[in-house]
Order: sequence, then C-alpha cells, then structure tokens
Amino acid sequence: MPLDYLANAGTNILFDVATLVLVSLGLSIVFGMMGVINMAHGEFIMIGAFTVVLAVRQGVPLWAAMVAGPVVTGLVGVVTERLLIRRLYGKRIEGTLLATFGLGLILQQGATLLLGSSPEGIATPLGSFSLGRYSIGWYSLVIVAAALALVGLVLLLFLRTRYGLLARATMQNRAMAANLGIDTSRINMLTFGLGSALAGAAGALLAPVVAVVPTMGIPLISSAFITVVLGGPAVVTGTAASAGLLGLVRQVVTLLSTPLLGTAALLVAATVILRLLPGGISGRYRRTTL
Amino acid sequence: MTFTRLVSSTPGILVITAVAALAAGAGSIAQVQQLTTWTVYGLLALSLVLVWGKAGIFSFAQGALFGIGAYAYGVAGANLLPVTGESFSALLVGAVCGGLAAALIGYFVFYGRLGELPVAVVTLAFSLLLLTVMSSLSDPSYRIGVAVLGGYNGLGAPVLTAPGAPDGLTIPATFYLVVGVTALVAVGLRRLLGRPFGRIVLATARNEGRTELMGFDPRRVRLQAFTLGGVVAGLAGALYAASALYVDPSVFGLAQSALVVVWVLVGGRGSLLGGLAGVAMIEPLTSALGGSGGDLGPIILGAVLIVMVLLLPSGVVPALISLVRRRRAGHADEAAPVLAVEGPPPLPLDGRPPATLATHDLVKRFGGLLATDHVSLEFEPTRAHSIVGPNGAGKSTLFSLLVGANRPTEGTVWLDGADITRRSTFQRARLGLGIKRQVPSVYLDSTVLENLWVCAYADCRSVPESDRRAREMADWLGLSGRSADLAAELAHGHRQLLEIGMVLAARPRVVLLDEPTAGMTREETHLIAEVVRTLAAYCTVVVVEHDMEFIREVGAPVTVLHKGAVFAQGTIDEIRADERVLSIYLGRAHVEAS
Amino acid sequence: MAPLSASGRRAAILATAVLLTTSACAGNAAGKPGDGPIPVASILDLTGPLSIYGTPKSNVAKLAVDDINASGGVLGRKLKLVAYDSQSQTDKNVEYAGQAATKDEAAVVMGGITSASREAMRPALQRTRTLYFYNSLYEGGVCDRNQVITGETASQFLDPLINYAAANLGKKMYVVAADYNYGRISTQWIQKYAAQYGAKVVGTDFVSLDSGDFGAVLNNIQREAPDVVVSVLVGSNHVPFYREFAAKGLGAKIKIVSPSFGLGNEQEILSPAEAKGIVTSYNYYQELDNPANKAFREKYAAAYGAKHAYITDLAVSEWNGWHLWAEAVRKAGSLDRDKVLKVIESGTLSIDSPSGTIKVDGPTHHVTEDITLATVNDKRGFDLLKTFPAQPPQYEKTVCDLVRNPTLNRAFTPA
Repeated sequence: MPLDYLANAGTNILFDVATLVLVSLGLSIVFGMMGVINMAHGEFIMIGAFTVVLAVRQGVPLWAAMVAGPVVTGLVGVVTERLLIRRLYGKRIEGTLLATFGLGLILQQGATLLLGSSPEGIATPLGSFSLGRYSIGWYSLVIVAAALALVGLVLLLFLRTRYGLLARATMQNRAMAANLGIDTSRINMLTFGLGSALAGAAGALLAPVVAVVPTMGIPLISSAFITVVLGGPAVVTGTAASAGLLGLVRQVVTLLSTPLLGTAALLVAATVILRLLPGGISGRYRRTTL
Repeated sequence: MTFTRLVSSTPGILVITAVAALAAGAGSIAQVQQLTTWTVYGLLALSLVLVWGKAGIFSFAQGALFGIGAYAYGVAGANLLPVTGESFSALLVGAVCGGLAAALIGYFVFYGRLGELPVAVVTLAFSLLLLTVMSSLSDPSYRIGVAVLGGYNGLGAPVLTAPGAPDGLTIPATFYLVVGVTALVAVGLRRLLGRPFGRIVLATARNEGRTELMGFDPRRVRLQAFTLGGVVAGLAGALYAASALYVDPSVFGLAQSALVVVWVLVGGRGSLLGGLAGVAMIEPLTSALGGSGGDLGPIILGAVLIVMVLLLPSGVVPALISLVRRRRAGHADEAAPVLAVEGPPPLPLDGRPPATLATHDLVKRFGGLLATDHVSLEFEPTRAHSIVGPNGAGKSTLFSLLVGANRPTEGTVWLDGADITRRSTFQRARLGLGIKRQVPSVYLDSTVLENLWVCAYADCRSVPESDRRAREMADWLGLSGRSADLAAELAHGHRQLLEIGMVLAARPRVVLLDEPTAGMTREETHLIAEVVRTLAAYCTVVVVEHDMEFIREVGAPVTVLHKGAVFAQGTIDEIRADERVLSIYLGRAHVEAS
Repeated sequence: MAPLSASGRRAAILATAVLLTTSACAGNAAGKPGDGPIPVASILDLTGPLSIYGTPKSNVAKLAVDDINASGGVLGRKLKLVAYDSQSQTDKNVEYAGQAATKDEAAVVMGGITSASREAMRPALQRTRTLYFYNSLYEGGVCDRNQVITGETASQFLDPLINYAAANLGKKMYVVAADYNYGRISTQWIQKYAAQYGAKVVGTDFVSLDSGDFGAVLNNIQREAPDVVVSVLVGSNHVPFYREFAAKGLGAKIKIVSPSFGLGNEQEILSPAEAKGIVTSYNYYQELDNPANKAFREKYAAAYGAKHAYITDLAVSEWNGWHLWAEAVRKAGSLDRDKVLKVIESGTLSIDSPSGTIKVDGPTHHVTEDITLATVNDKRGFDLLKTFPAQPPQYEKTVCDLVRNPTLNRAFTPA
C-alpha cells in the first residue's frame, strides 16, 4: 500500500478516535461517578458549539471563544444539577434518563427558537498540508492533540487535586464519604459541572468541523453511550480505550469497504466485546482505577 | 357475581372493549386511522411492560422488533398476496420474525449473563445497526421477492386482504381488528402473568439469585419472556404496516426506541394498564402539539417528562393504584406475630429420600491465596452437620463451592454419588440442594404467600399443590396472618424464617444454611436451632456458623476450618475441649484486640 | 388459584380506561366546510435534520396564505391554514396527510420535502381524492393526476448545471449523493447529461441521511482527483462535507456544483470562505431583479424581520404553489378537485412570481419556469451567472400526458 494512503488512513483513525473520546468523556464521568445517564449530553455539546459560534460572531477571537464553550456549558451543568439532577439521587436510574431526555428536547427546541434552524457557522481554521495525493487539515491534528490533553488533564484533576480525591472517595462509598464530613452534595454539583464542561469542550472543539445546528447532538449521544458502557467502570482510561478500539474498527472497515459497513462493524464490535466482557473493557481493572 | 367482577372478567373486558371500539369506530376516517395507530402503539407498549416491567430487562430493542415485524409484514404481504390472495398470514410472519429476532438477541445477551446496562447497549446497538443498514438499501436492486426494500424511501405495505375480498379491509375494519388483537393480547398477558410462567418471570426479575437457588434457570426464563415480548412487538409492527400501508427505517431510530420507553415510564412500567395509559397520554399530546405546528411542542413534552419524573416517578397508573390501596389498607396494622414454629414442617419430605453431600480434595485458589485447601468431607443423610471457624477460615468459600457459585480449582463435589462439580447452581437446586445464604434473599416486592408459592412450584410444578403447600408453610412459620403482606414489610427475623420456609417448600434433599442466625435475637436463634433439629430428621442439613452457642443447641457434629483446611472434627464438646481450636479462636481474638 | 394477586380491580380500571380514551377521542367530530374559512393544509418538517428546509418553507407558506387572504381569499372565502410538523419522519407525513384529508377536510394539501415523503404521501391522498401540491425541486418523472408539482425537475435544473460544469470546470466528475430516491435518480441524470456533454463520471458515493462521516468519501475523491464534484447531499447531517472539503484545501483543485446546496441555507451555516464558488442552478434566488421579487422581499422582511435568513428556492416554491392553486380555484369557480384539475390541465394557468413567470404545463402537471445559474459569493448569498428563460419540464413532456391518459400513475426514471 502506498505510504501517502497509509498516513492519510492513520490520520482518519486518530481523528475518529479523538472525536469519540471528546463526545464521550463527559458522559462517562457523570455516569461512572454519579450513576446518572445524561441523555441531554448531546445538547450540552450543542451548547458548547453555539457558545463558540455566537462569541466569534461578536468578534471574540476563535481560541478565546473555545475557552468560553466549556465554561458556559459547565455553568449550565451546575444549574441543571442544582435544579433537576439533585432531586433524583438514590432513585432508579431511569428517572434521570427520562428527565434528561426531556431536558434535551427543551434545549434542542429552545436553541431552534432562539437561533433558527440554520444559524451562521464558522470555518475550519489553520488550513491544510499535502501528503502525496492526499491533503490533511491541520485542525484535525489539533482535535487529536486536544483529546489527548483533556484525558491527561482530567486524570491529573482526579489524581492530584483535593477535589479529585474527594470525588473518588464519594464515588467509591457515598455514605462513608458523607460520614467523614465530605460535602457530597457539593462534590456532585462539581462532578456534574465537570462532565458538562467536558461536553462543552467537545462542542467547542468540534464547532469548526461540524454543522453547528440545534439537532447536532442527536447522532452523537448513541455513539457516546455505547462507548461509555463498553469502556466499563474506569471512567477515563476505560472510555479512552473503548473509543480507541471502536474508532479503529470503524475507520479500518470504512477504509477497506464503505462507511456503511464501518458503522455496522462498530456496532457489531461493541456487541461482541460486551458479550465477552460484560463489565466492559475496564471491568477487570482494579476497582479504583480511573 | 358483583359488578366489578363481571366487568373485570375476561369476557367482560372484551365486551367493554368491543363497545368502546364500536363507539370510536363511528368517528371520522382520520380519527379512526389515528386511533388505530395509537392502539398499535399500545400493543407495542405492552411488549415493553412485559419485557421491562415484568421481566426486568431494560430493552431499547422494542422499537426495532416492531420495525422488523412491520418490514416482515410488508415483504411477506407483497409476496403472498399474488399467490394466496390474502395477506393475513403476513401478520403471523411479522410476529414470528419479531420473536425470532428477539430470541437471537436474547440468547446472545442472557446466556452471556450481561448486566442491565450492557443489555441496554446491545439492544440499542442492534436497533442502530438495523437503522444504518435499512436506510442504506435504497438501490432498487435490494429486494426480497417482489418487495423492493426502498432504503430511506421506505417500503409500501399491502392492505390487509382476506381471500375472496380483493379490496382489502376498510380503515374501520382494520381498526376493529387491531383493537381486538390488542385486547386479546392484553388479556392473554394478564392471564399468563397470573400463571406459573408469569410468576417465575416476576420472581426472576425481583431476585435473580434466589430464583436460581430454587432451581430455575434465569437465562432461560429471561429468554422466554424476551422472545414473547418480541412476538408481541413484531405483531404490533405488522399491524402498523397493515394500517399505515407504509414503513420506513426511522422505526429503528433512537427516537422511536426512546419513545416506547417514555410511554411505559410515564404510564407505569409495573402494569399492563400502565403501558396502554402511557400511550393514551403521550400520543394525543404530541399529536396535538405537532399537528398545530406549534414551535413549543417539544418544549412542552420535555417539561411534562421532567414533571412526571419529579412528581410521579413510578408512573401514573401505579401511583393511582397505590393511592387506592393505601385508602383501603388504612387499618391493617396488626401486632406482629411472635416467632413460633411447632411440630414437623408440613411437607412430604419423606417422599424424597435424603442424600449424601460430599467433597473430595476440594481446592480453591484466588490468585496466590489458597482459600480452600484439599477439603474432603462427607455429610450423611438425616443428620445435621456444622462447619465452624474464625473469620477468614474459608467457610464462605467452601459454601460457595458447595452451592456452585464458584468452581473449584481442583477436586470434586458429589451429591448422592453423582459428580456435580461442573453443575451450575440451578442444576444443583433441581437435584435437591436447598440453599439459604447469609444475607436474607427473599422476593421483597412479593407477598409472603407468593414467596412460598414460587418455591413450592419449583419442586412440584403443580398449581393446586403449590397453593396448598404455600398456605401450610405460612401456617407452620406462624406467618399466616401476614401472608398477603409484602416480604419487604417483614422484620429481619421473620424474613430469615420466611427464607428457610422457602427453602423447605421446594422439598430439598440436602439443606445448606449459611449463618442462618446472623442478626437474630437470642430467642430467634433458639427457634432456628429447633427448626434445624426438626429438619435433620428428614433430610441432610449443613450449617455454616460461627455462633458456638447455636451449634451446641443444634447438637450436630462439628467440622472446624482454619486457613482453608479441615482443622478438627468431632462433637461440640470434644471441639470445645480442644486447646488448639481454642487457640485459633483466641489467637484471632488476640490479633483483633491489638 | 390462590388469592396471590388481586388484579380484578385493576382489570376493571383497564376496561374503563379503554372505554374512556376511545370514546373521548371519537367525540370531536370535524366541522363540515360551509361558508366559513376554507381549510387548507401544509405538512412540512419544522423539527429535526430536515427543518433547515422546512422552517423557511413554512414561513413562506404562511406568508402566501396571508397574501391570498389579504387580497380577498378565494371564492369570497378566506383560507384557514392547518400546519403540521412532520418532524423529519417520513411516516409522520403519511399520518398527517390522512388527518388533513379526512379530519380537516382540507381543500388542498401542500407539503412533503423529500422525495421519500412525497412518495409516501401520494397514495394516501389519492385514496381520499385530495388535491396534492408538491412544492419542491426534485429528480422529476412523477406522473400522477392527483398531484401538481411546482418545483423544478432534473431536466430543468441539472441539464444546464452539468452543461456549465463540463464546459467551464472540467470533464472529470465525481458524484456524492444522499442515499434515497432523490440522490439515486439524480445521479442517473447526472451520468446521462455528463455523457451528453462529453464529460465522464469517475466515481459515485451514496451517503445515508443519518450519517455525517465523510472521511472515506473525501479519501475516494482525493484518490480519483476529479475536476468537479457534483454534490446531491441533503439535510443538516451532510453539511460537514463542504466544511471538511474546504478544511483539506481541496477547493483549489476541485470545484463543486450542486443541485441541492443552498436549499437548506448551507451557505449561512458554512462560512463564506468555505462555500464561495459553489455553483447551483435553481428557479429562485433572493438576488433576482424583478418587481414581484421586490414586493415579495418587502413582505417577507415585514413579517420575519429585516435580518431574516436567505430566502431559498424551496421556500419560494411554496409561494408559487399556493398562488397557483388560488388562481386555479378562482378560474374554476369551485374547490372541487376535478374542476380545479381542468384549469390546471387547460395549459392557461400562470402567475407572476418572485421567481419570474410560472406557467403550468397542462399534460404533465409540472411547470414551465426560468432557471438561473448562480455561484455562492462571499456575502452568504449568490452571484447570478446566467438565466435560461421559460424552461419546460422537458423529460416529463416525453413520458407523461395526464390529459390523454388520466389514470397514469407512475414515477419515470431515465435508467
């Protein structure tokens, strides 16, 4: 196989894996650490993307707007946790599933009413370079780097900060953490805010490569959901591993055949792996691994 | 017969449905068409109530199974119609295809023992797989017989046609058919859930571990329930295609799967009526909002969902039912009966010869830890045996090897001369092993009588016999006054006692009890000791305990475990006199004290 | 059986509930049309991925009905518009078509955006003999006496587009199309016209409407290195194609022509840098210079604000459809379907529209109209290149004559 083809294929794979990591990391943290399935996760991504688009339209430089994405979305997450999610702890998991599904509907239609169905978007920055017959956008490499950086940052946050320590303690034994004087209510708020901010970061980073429209979250939520459950209990490394595996399978099959078979291969791979490892990829890691 | 009874009997429901349907069928064609669709959705919701509400399987696949039924009807109908002149048989094809697809997924997930969320993901992936594939088949070369699948364009389905009536069913006639089928399925499911199959399905959902300990194979039970759900969903899909005359791949989408879940959640997943009620509430609402072209439609729907979750988390129908129940049961607060068991258990225990349970050179390693070290024991019939040892001596591991929860690294387990080392828990239970684990494991959401009934049925497979045994066992346990109460309402001691009654109701040949007195008062412990002594006259009893007082009261021969191996054996008095035993207990106590 | 569960009461509730719901639903019978307003129905996707088309169409449909009412309605009666949101789900189109026909007893049903939804709605409206207007550009060839089509067909807009591309942009073409009948049949047309104008289609890719992943498609395009990409992509999920195409800098070597770009205001979602230079051919552009368009744009701005989104060709087809129907009813002096169809088939019906003169071609139930080639400029609008006046529905005229053969009911394709 020619070298330019392989290099281009490699970029495709990395880009797909990075996208999967970005869209599922926040969902994974909220689910793994709080037991909440946030069906509005796709809409949180949409909020992050719109923050960037609207900020750029107001004249804010793109890179500054990209910082605003996670901040705004994180705040939306904190408010959501205080007003809605908090009332559902300790209840059945479907409760949060249904409530956040409803929240997603509201956010999506609210965005349509506020911004219209085809709002003005922003171009992909940074241009491209040539590799033989193929041309690769620099920005796709930025996405890959950003995904890696976010995984690293989140690991550092959990392993090296006071919040991370308290959050892990709360995750492992909520009652014990409360007895030790940890303000678990506050930890929950911060963790949900963190998950939302990560969704916002994903939206902000993807804003220049996708169509930023109110319905953009719909196709993202199912692949994120599959990635998270396949990843298993290790909320960061498990999800990253699962995204790596799924992205690899999808892109390799796509390159060898068609995108249709690529998507089919991803779904079949997820099913088969779950059959073999019902606890997910990280199901057999040590319990405390992140 | 009272009025309520008359109305709630099967013919009563069917007559009322028929009257309602006739009244509704007189509406305009559009209304009848709309009601047909909603009724079909109701049927689909029933399939999820069965699968999720009753069998405890959280499935995203019901929408996809519905789609399979719809496509199967479209394809089979188009191919059959020119040949047979009718398309009714295509409805059956739809139901069968739904069932087959469900059986396929079910075999895959249940025999793989997947947890709740992995099952949800696999069913979601299955739906999305169908969505991806079906929406990419728009090239006219993709066809089955004369039916072009159409991809995103969708597939036209033939109208329901009877032989000799080539014009097919009118819209009202289709409506009557759909209502009739839905009513029959609802009545059928209600009856089925009252039958042993339904009770075992419920039991499996409520406490899988206990059900398996009674000798039922939870994988098989789930597979059966899920397949039946697939048949119902497939039938609903076929009826949908037969009334809408059109189906497209959006039935496989996340929106459709989620919608089914929303109906059932809002209506209440615990009851069949809840499924129907969910459709009756959500669909007119979305239709009214979408129909008026209102921009606020999704916002109102979203707000309704959130309010529902916050105010009525179990759904509308269960909330109404519990309201009615609470009103009626206002003064049911009787004094809890004192624990009392008298005389032999009311069972033909002698009908089944007691058996010998034995182990030979049993070894279990967990990594580098030798948890069971070459244990060879023999528990003879019609006697009680006890296994003691300090914490960490390997009692629980040995127990788990005996019940089949763990497989030994080496060695064998024998029941009545047969090697059962490789048998799973439910297979051992079927061979007559009665098991009570340390943590009380009863069906909390079932009544006392239901708890006992399922266990009796596990043995005798006869409804009248199980009814009788359950009642007699409740009497013997002194719980007959509370037989209609949920097990969740019982005090701890009563629950322990109930579980022993459940084990006995299955008429075991060997009874294994793991710390039966944990958390009990002195009097309760005394009572359990008496029960064990009584039982020993009829079957083999093995008790794992560390309460020496209890062991003494039972008066059974004692095996002492230490560091996974048999340390000493003898009567309780011999063991008590053994300095070495004392030292391992004291040594342990010494370590703990420091 | 033992009294293990007392479900009798629940069953009684069940029976009563069935009774109540069904009879409640049957209660509200539809009002018969008399001297009050005339019910007419519009079924468009206002939510979901197709809302990028449906929302502007719905805006114009409402404006058109208001406009007709402002000039006195038809037959001395006002129109009452019942608007349905088909939520980007084809089966909803069928459901609402049935409701519009029988519950609202609409005099005419207009709507359906994708060809999939049109094909699903047609049989439903034939069954109830409800006149159906399809106001969208499409692949052409549909021949059905119950239906009037006011959008352009492939032989009207693809012929000049491919001709232009072959003459000015290059002979090596690559087709990327949405995977449903519009994309598939349009691709057949593109191949036919490419051959006719001496160009060659070197590759085709069909992309599912749910998919937004174009990595593989862009790889294929780069491998084949065509001069021109013909994009027949549809819906918001497909917009990233143009973005990724631009991000890879492919626009320098490869030009895009499209019979669908801009219909969902893709030039607004994308930035000018990404969309500039894409060539399209439609009946209407906001930049058209004629008095009817000037008046129309003023009305539109008055209704939806001066900063409204670009008004698309698909949206203006709604204007044409509603006004053509109103004019036909006035001429027929009746709402009766067959009398209105007589006027349609007379070949004399025409209106002055913002997009020029629209004249109904009687035998085919399609329209003769102007077609303009235009290219996306850097102001999120279009620069007009060339107008071909009064283009008849060429292909339909060769296969479809509903005057001679009223029972013809078929979708013709070139293959």
